[in-house]
Amino acid sequence: MKCNIDCSVILKMLPHRYPFLLIDKVTEIEPGKSAVGIKNVTINEPYFQGHFPGEPIVPGVLLLESLAQLTAVMYGAEALPADTDWGKISAKDFEGLDLAGSVGYLAELRNVKFMSLVKPGDTLELHAKKGASMGNLMQIKVFARVGNKNVVEGMLTVSQGR
Amino acid sequence: MAVQGKEQILAYAAKRKQLCSDIKAMIVEQLCLDMDPEFITDDQPLFGRGLELDSIDSLELSVGVFNNWQISLSDDDNSAFSSVNSLADFILANSDGDGDDAGTADLSGGMDLG
Repeated sequence: MKCNIDCSVILKMLPHRYPFLLIDKVTEIEPGKSAVGIKNVTINEPYFQGHFPGEPIVPGVLLLESLAQLTAVMYGAEALPADTDWGKISAKDFEGLDLAGSVGYLAELRNVKFMSLVKPGDTLELHAKKGASMGNLMQIKVFARVGNKNVVEGMLTVSQGR
Repeated sequence: MAVQGKEQILAYAAKRKQLCSDIKAMIVEQLCLDMDPEFITDDQPLFGRGLELDSIDSLELSVGVFNNWQISLSDDDNSAFSSVNSLADFILANSDGDGDDAGTADLSGGMDLG
């Protein structure tokens, strides 16, 4: 479903902070099942200082981190009531909840491909979809695209913190 | 009767041998192991000493079992991964009857994972 999870809500759902909060908003969500998010890349990103001087390119591992953070929002959303209106969600809806404190961890990456360079000015459209799960492990099929071109795709395995 | 029984046993043994080699091929392919499937023995422990697999591999193996035999493993079925033989036992025990799906691992999304 379409949703309006902005950065103030994301700050309630993730423990990540500057300079490592690598997702700006989430536009579609099926709690626990799938999500679509946006990460805008600007020349102000601190890592462009060194990656690389004169040739700013987003590190591939940070693309995966954006996708992993989208994944954390996707399954963190399951902690809220099923009738939550994700179109009108706000930071206030998270009172008494400590989602950021129970975020999971990356366990495995499989079949990751980087198909294209990502540069300042690009808008990354992030996609995550739940696959198989067992115990506290869950596989997530992920990809990101700029415009209609895929820049990274692969499969993450995450351990659920809760 | 005795002759028929012997044929049945031989047929079962052949079927089981084939299943075990299918399982070994699945393990090597699913986990991208750099080894010949035939080097895995039927009773070798898969986890810890032995093949040295871990819990992350067990999720991947459960996807492989589902893709190859359409059987879902639940969290309680982890003992099936003890060895190739125990996995063969599990697959044979669950492939004929209409298994109870309650409480099994959610592998619905596992089919298109390749």
